Amino acid sequence: MGVRVTTGRTLLAAVLGFGVALSAQAAEYPDIGPLPQLKINKAKAELGKRLFFDKRLSGDAAVACATCHVPEKGYASKEALSPGYPGNGHFRNASSLINVAHRKVWNWDGRIGTNLNDMTREMLTEDYTMNMDMRIMQERVKQDPVYVRMFKDAGYGEPSNGSVRKAIPEYLKTLTSANAPFDTGKMSASAKRGMKLFKGKGGCIQCHNGPMMTDQKAHNTGVPENFDVFMDPMNHQAFIAFTMFQGIPNYMNLKRDPGYYNVTLLDEDMGKFLTPSLRELKYSAPYMHNGMIKTLAGVVDFYNQGGGKDSRKSGLLKPLKLSGKEKKDLVAFLEALSGDPLTSNKHVWKQPYPSEYEAIANWTKVPN
Amino acid sequence: MHMKKVTLSLVAAAVVTVFTGCDATATKQAHAATPEKMAVAKMAMQPSAPPPLTPLGKAPIPPDNKLTPAKVELGKLLFFDPRVGGDASTGCSTCHEPEQGWAWAEDFSRGYPGTVHWRNSQSIINSAYFPRQFWAGSASSNEKQAKSAAKGGVAGNGEDDIMEARLALIPEYRKRFKEVFGTEWPIIDDVWHAISAFERTMNTTGKYEVPLDKYLKGDKSALSKQQVRGMKLFNGKAGCINCHNGELTTDSDFHNIGVPPNKRWEEDGLAQITFRFEQYAKGQTEEGYRAAKSDWGFYYRSKNKWDKGKFRTAPLRYIAYTAPYMHNGVFYTLEEVIDFYNRGGFDEEGRTTLFTKTKSALIKPLGLNDQEKEDLVAFLEAFSGPEITMEKPEQPPYAPLFTLAELKAAQEAK
Repeated sequence: MGVRVTTGRTLLAAVLGFGVALSAQAAEYPDIGPLPQLKINKAKAELGKRLFFDKRLSGDAAVACATCHVPEKGYASKEALSPGYPGNGHFRNASSLINVAHRKVWNWDGRIGTNLNDMTREMLTEDYTMNMDMRIMQERVKQDPVYVRMFKDAGYGEPSNGSVRKAIPEYLKTLTSANAPFDTGKMSASAKRGMKLFKGKGGCIQCHNGPMMTDQKAHNTGVPENFDVFMDPMNHQAFIAFTMFQGIPNYMNLKRDPGYYNVTLLDEDMGKFLTPSLRELKYSAPYMHNGMIKTLAGVVDFYNQGGGKDSRKSGLLKPLKLSGKEKKDLVAFLEALSGDPLTSNKHVWKQPYPSEYEAIANWTKVPN
Repeated sequence: MHMKKVTLSLVAAAVVTVFTGCDATATKQAHAATPEKMAVAKMAMQPSAPPPLTPLGKAPIPPDNKLTPAKVELGKLLFFDPRVGGDASTGCSTCHEPEQGWAWAEDFSRGYPGTVHWRNSQSIINSAYFPRQFWAGSASSNEKQAKSAAKGGVAGNGEDDIMEARLALIPEYRKRFKEVFGTEWPIIDDVWHAISAFERTMNTTGKYEVPLDKYLKGDKSALSKQQVRGMKLFNGKAGCINCHNGELTTDSDFHNIGVPPNKRWEEDGLAQITFRFEQYAKGQTEEGYRAAKSDWGFYYRSKNKWDKGKFRTAPLRYIAYTAPYMHNGVFYTLEEVIDFYNRGGFDEEGRTTLFTKTKSALIKPLGLNDQEKEDLVAFLEAFSGPEITMEKPEQPPYAPLFTLAELKAAQEAK
């Protein structure tokens, strides 16, 4: 997958970063800027929207995609750790889904590098997320006349697992930043100063570059473990199920999130996580793969001290010696990367779902 | 199974009966000169006769899963633990409820939350004895049955990894699995072993012995006169013995007896979902998926058209507690069952199986009068003894695997 191939370049960048120290030049990195436009099929996206908010897409019909990806939270989880499927907890913070269609690699550990279709399947079927037998899902969808019509109108024909996996990604394309001051050019003076720090003294651009402000690569920044993953057996069971299924050695004794190590099984990748996008941060607190930092000021402080403690921490991280004013400017810039909330009918399915499944009339006479 | 094969296996069974029967059952019976025993012995001697009913012996214990008290106790805890399932709300006992005959007292089993099952939940009582489990015989042991049920989408919907992870975080289970299986962590396969060990102790033997078995062992007072009359009908005019025979009261074979489809599929959206899911999950062809309007039974396993609508002959012990009856639970009383057979495999509205071509030739109108029907029901009641009840054990609690000090030390060592 993509990330694995580019590991060499990441290391090279680390060496470069070491040599050039803090004089990192913006020109070395893909510039931050507006997001490219995506072509969206309205009927398919509308169908995907109804599916995204529908609890019937989980095994026991108790959780929807939106249970962990909450619109008011920038489609990220409310708490440090996602709630997960009933009967267990989770071990990571659900990432914001705004602009997710612009990514090339998904999950904090980068284990999916194909497309959102696969990512959708992963989230629907994993036992600690939605635990959905997709064959049951297909039949549930086929039992709802509203879906039958919407699938037809979207050009998918009869509802199927395959088209669910296409429609949800089509909807996710609509979750795109809108009217962020950074994009509209209406940034405050403080935010403008922050942008300079971002590209220069702060060194943020070394990893947070391109229109999404992420290199989509894995780095170890030394974020401390969230002990709730292990101290709460509900979260720990999800963690064990995940590491067991992924084939991580010694998973029962593991006391840290292995991160990108899951993809390569190389020791050097232990504790690396994918660089998150910086867009819509205003809504998506708490931060980091395990929600360990509550505020943007906290994140800036974390990097100002050179990140956390880890023997494999990225060489790109050094104490930044930012002044109080500089830190505020940086936070102002980060806030300027957030646009309008995507919480209206345009993005959220607000109509009720049927409380029970209507029986198909004349069942013995019509083909299944 | 092919009709030819059925005939062959019946002949084979009869031959076995003759050989083993000669030195045990038949010779003993020849000494006792009661007319019933003479009749039974005569039937047993005929190559085409089904094996007679015999008392339930000891439950067979497979050599790779010996019973120990500690294993049985662990199995009991697991049987009642809803964490052995998808969302920690459904365990074995959810659909095999002690108060409901260790089964579920609705036509379809209740199913995983958000679903309903499509077949009737069968009692676990005496399950140790059956070489084939589930209505289409898809599991060949308790171990395989437990695993399939815990994992099936409309049953337990559990995945191995999360179930194993949960048990690892319950200190009581870690201790017990180590004692019983010698492993550092609970292993999911051993879960099925322990549950099966528990189930193999849940039999109608000892203090739960059924009146019929007492009678067959020589206690003439165990059956009333009416029940003895019913037994004669069972073995004779009503023909029940053709399939409900031998020690297990079942030939463990598959027959289409004409049970009509459950009407819930015409009226209940949730049931319709499961119905289609099962066609999909059981490997139907596209054509079959579109056309199916009833349970194709053993066909899903053999994929032979002559197996459509066939189901495993249900065992009869403990049936007083396990209503409703049949693979889809369409009959709620034993009287309805007898009426159904008396009509030659039709319900009171004249409905029968959709697979008339595979309907067993053994199923014919019986011509039983009201008295005979009552006698037969009375005899069927002799297949059940005292109700088997059990207090549900308390669930052992979760506890963190590591201490905060251990986690902090690991953090420092990063």
